[in-house]
Amino acid sequence: MEMLQVKQVSKVYGTKLAYRALNGLNLSVDEGEFVGIMGPSGSGKTTLLNLIATIDSPTSGEILINGNDPHKLGRNELARFRRRELGFVFQDFNLLHTLTVAENIVLPLTLDGANMSLMKERLTAVVRKLGIESIVDKRVYEISGGQAQRSAIARAIIHRPKLLLADEPTGNLDSKAARDVMQTLEAINKHDRTTMLLVTHDPVAASYCSRVVFIKDGKPFAEIHRGEQRQAFFQKIIDTLSLLGGDASDLSSVRLP
Amino acid sequence: MTFRQFAFHNVLRNKRLYAAFFFSSMFSVLVFFVYAVFAFHPALASESLNQSVSRGLHTAEAIIYIFAIFFVLYSMSSFLKSRQKEFGLLVMHGMSTLQLRLMIFIENLLIGLFSTLGGIALGLVFAKAILLSAENMLKLDQSLPFYWPKEAILLTLGAFVLLFGVISLFTVMLIRGKKIIELIKGSSIPKSEPRASIVLSLLAALLLGAGYVVALITKGIEVTIAFIPVTVVVIIGTYFLFTQLSVYVINSLKRRTRLFWRRTNMLTLSDLSYRMKDNARTFFIISIISTVAFTAIGTLICFGALMMRNIDEGQPFDMQYLSSEQQPSQEVEAIRSYLGTEAPEYKQFRIEIGYYGEGGAIIVMPLSSYNVLAEELGSTMYELTGDEAIAVRRNNAFISTGSITSLEPVGVHQGAVLKPVEETKSGVVPLYQTYYIVADDFFARLDKPQMMKSYYFWNLPRDADELKAGRELNEQLQQAGLKSYAFGAKAYDKDQMLRSYNVVLFIGLFIGVIFFVAAGSFLYFRLYQDLDDDKRKFAMIAKLGLTRGELSQVITRQMLLLFFAPVAVALIHGAVALTALQHMFMSSLVTEAALVLGSFLVIQVIYFLIARFYYIRSIRQAVQI
Repeated sequence: MEMLQVKQVSKVYGTKLAYRALNGLNLSVDEGEFVGIMGPSGSGKTTLLNLIATIDSPTSGEILINGNDPHKLGRNELARFRRRELGFVFQDFNLLHTLTVAENIVLPLTLDGANMSLMKERLTAVVRKLGIESIVDKRVYEISGGQAQRSAIARAIIHRPKLLLADEPTGNLDSKAARDVMQTLEAINKHDRTTMLLVTHDPVAASYCSRVVFIKDGKPFAEIHRGEQRQAFFQKIIDTLSLLGGDASDLSSVRLP
Repeated sequence: MTFRQFAFHNVLRNKRLYAAFFFSSMFSVLVFFVYAVFAFHPALASESLNQSVSRGLHTAEAIIYIFAIFFVLYSMSSFLKSRQKEFGLLVMHGMSTLQLRLMIFIENLLIGLFSTLGGIALGLVFAKAILLSAENMLKLDQSLPFYWPKEAILLTLGAFVLLFGVISLFTVMLIRGKKIIELIKGSSIPKSEPRASIVLSLLAALLLGAGYVVALITKGIEVTIAFIPVTVVVIIGTYFLFTQLSVYVINSLKRRTRLFWRRTNMLTLSDLSYRMKDNARTFFIISIISTVAFTAIGTLICFGALMMRNIDEGQPFDMQYLSSEQQPSQEVEAIRSYLGTEAPEYKQFRIEIGYYGEGGAIIVMPLSSYNVLAEELGSTMYELTGDEAIAVRRNNAFISTGSITSLEPVGVHQGAVLKPVEETKSGVVPLYQTYYIVADDFFARLDKPQMMKSYYFWNLPRDADELKAGRELNEQLQQAGLKSYAFGAKAYDKDQMLRSYNVVLFIGLFIGVIFFVAAGSFLYFRLYQDLDDDKRKFAMIAKLGLTRGELSQVITRQMLLLFFAPVAVALIHGAVALTALQHMFMSSLVTEAALVLGSFLVIQVIYFLIARFYYIRSIRQAVQI
C-alpha cells in the first residue's frame, strides 16, 4: 500500500527571479519502506523533505500521506497532524537544552496531552530499544552527539508516527556514531514497520535504505534498490553518484562501512 | 577602508542591532531633557515658587541623571553581550585588543552622540505638550509658554556627552580580560541547571513575612522607628525571593511529573526556572524601583488628600475669624462690610469661648453657641442641665488625639465644677484642643476667665464666588495692615494649598512615572535578549507540531511572569508601605492608595498586552505557523 505519494510537485522560490527548486517531481513510497534521497547540493532534496514534512507548501502538485493531503489542513490541524503522524530527525538534533533527555523524548506526547502512564510506558520501551536507558536523566549538553541523535530518534518515534523523516541525521556525527544511528533506524524500520524517508549526502548512511532515489535539478535522476548485500548496494550508490556528476565533496567515499 | 570607516559602517549598516540600544539611550536623554526644560522654565523661576520647591526640582533632576547612568550602563552591557560572538570573530581574524577597544569606544560614542541629539530634538517637541499638561495640573494662572530652553539643552548635552564618554571608557575596560574562545562561545555556552538552596528560600519567606508583620502591626510614631529596619529586611527578603525562593518553587513544580508532563507546562516551566535565575537581579531591581515609585507617589497623593481633609476639618464654614477681643475688631468689620457688598445674603455666627485654669487649658463654651453651629452644619445637637458638660475632641487627619482624660469632674473656676457626662468627637468648632460644652446658665455663672475669645463664622450664599471673596479679603486685610493670619477662607486656602502641593505632586508623579517607565524598559530589554533564542526554540518545536494557540499560550505565560512577578511584588510592598503610612496618620487612605496602585497596574497591563502582541508576532513570523 502506498504510504506517501508525491504527484507532479513543483516548488518555485522567489517571484522576480524565480528559482525552481522542484520541477514536477513524482515519488511514491510504500508502507514500511526505507527510502533514501540523494543528490548534489541544490538539487532540491531538503525542499522535498520540507514539503513532505508540511513545513513548506508546494507551488503546484499534491502530496498525499495515507491518501490525504495534509496541505489542505488548517494551521492547528496541521500542527496536530505533524505531532501525531510524523516523526522528525534533524542533522543538529534540535533537542531542547532546558529539558532532560527523558523530557525531550516525551515532548510530542506531552504536547498532545497524553496521559502519564502511557508516556512512562512508551518512554521505558523506546529508551530500551535505543539503548539509552543510562542517560535519560542527563541534560542535553552532558551527552555525546551519537547519544543526542539517538535521543532525537527516540523523540521521533515515541508517538509511533506513520512516517519518519530524517534530514541528514548523520551529518554531525563521526563514522562510528553514524553507523549506530543508521543501524538503529534500520532496526526500527524492520521491527516496527515504520515508513522512513531519509535525505542524506552520506553514501554509507544511504546504503542502509531499501531504495535510494537520486534527484538532480528538482527531478528524479535515478533509482536503485538494495539487494541482499549492503556492501554491493553501497558500491552502486557510489557509482550512481559519480554518474550524477556531483562535486567530489558529494562523494565522501573515504569512509568505508 | 580605514579603521574609522569600518567602525562607522559597522554602526550604520547594522541599524537594527543598534536600534534597541540607541532608542533606550535616546529615551533616557528625552526624559532628562524634557524634565530640564520644565525645571529651568523662566515662568516657574519668577513665579516666586517656594525656595524648597525649586531646590526639589533640581534634586529630582539629579535623581533622574543617576537613574540615566544606570539605565545606559545596563543597556550598553546587554548590547555588548549580544555582540560577543562578533567580537570573537574580529579578534580571531587579527583585530588587536586596542583596535577592538577603539571600535567599541567609537561606536558607543557615536550612538551616544546621536541619541543625545535625537533625544533633545524629540524632547523639544514633547516639551510643549508636557508644559501644557504641567500648566493644567499646576493651575498656574499665567500660561507656561514654550521658550527656547538654552540652559536645558546645554545641561543635557553636557551631562550626556560626559555620561556616554565615561561609560564607553568603562565598558571598554571590561572587554579586556576575555579569551577569544569565551567571546566566540558567548551566550551559547549551555547554562547549568538552576538550583536553589532551601535554607535561603526559607529565609526569604521568613524575612518578607517578618517585615510585613512588623510594618502592619506598628502604629503611630512607632512606624518611623520601624521604617529603616523593615525596609532593609524586606529588600534582602525580596532579593532572595527572586534568586532562591522562586527557583525553588519552580523546581519543585518540575519534580511533580504529573503536572510537569502536562501539555505545554513542560515548555513553560522548564524555561521559567532558567529565566527566573537569569532575570533574578533584574526582577529585584525592578521590584525595588517600582516599590519606591509606588510608595513615593502614594505618599504624595495621600499627603495631599490629608492636607485637604485637614483644611475641611479646620474650617467647617466658608470663612472664619478668630478674635481675642470680645468686641468686634477692625478685621471683623472689614470682612463684614466686604461681604455686605459682595454677598449680602451671608450668614454670620459668633461664639464666645472662655479659657480657664492654668494657662487657659480648660476651654469652655456655652451650649447654645455650639448648637447654633451644629444646626448649620447638620451635626448632632445636645441638651444639658446644671453642671453637666460634654467633652469634645477634634477630628484630625494628621494627629490622633488619644482617648480623652477620664470623665472626672473638672474644677473650672472659683469652686465651679463641671461634670462631663459624655465624650464626643466633632469638627463643629475648629479648635485643636479638647473643649467642654456647658449649659448656658452654668457658663453665665463663670466669670473672669484667663482669656475670652470670639470666633466668627460666615457661610456665603451658594452662588457667591468664594474663591474670589477669599482672595480679595486676604488682600484687603493685608493692605490695611490688619491681622490676616486669624482669617480663614476655605476655598482660597484650598486653592493656595493645591498650588504649592501640585508642584510637589507634579515632581513626584514625574519621577514616579520615570521610574516606572524605566522599569518597563528594563523588562523590554530582558525580553528582547531572549527573542532570538525563543525564535530558534519555537521553530524547532513547531516542526514537532505546535499549534498557534499553544505557542501563544506558552509565550503568554512566560511573559505574564516576567511582567507581573516584579510588579506584583512591588504592588504588595507598596500596599504594605501605604498601610503603614495609614497607621502613622491614623486615618484611612484606602481609596487613595487603591487608586495609585490600581492605575499602575492598569498601565502595566496595557504595556504587557502591547509587548505580548509584538513578541508573539515576531516569533510567529520566524516560526511560520
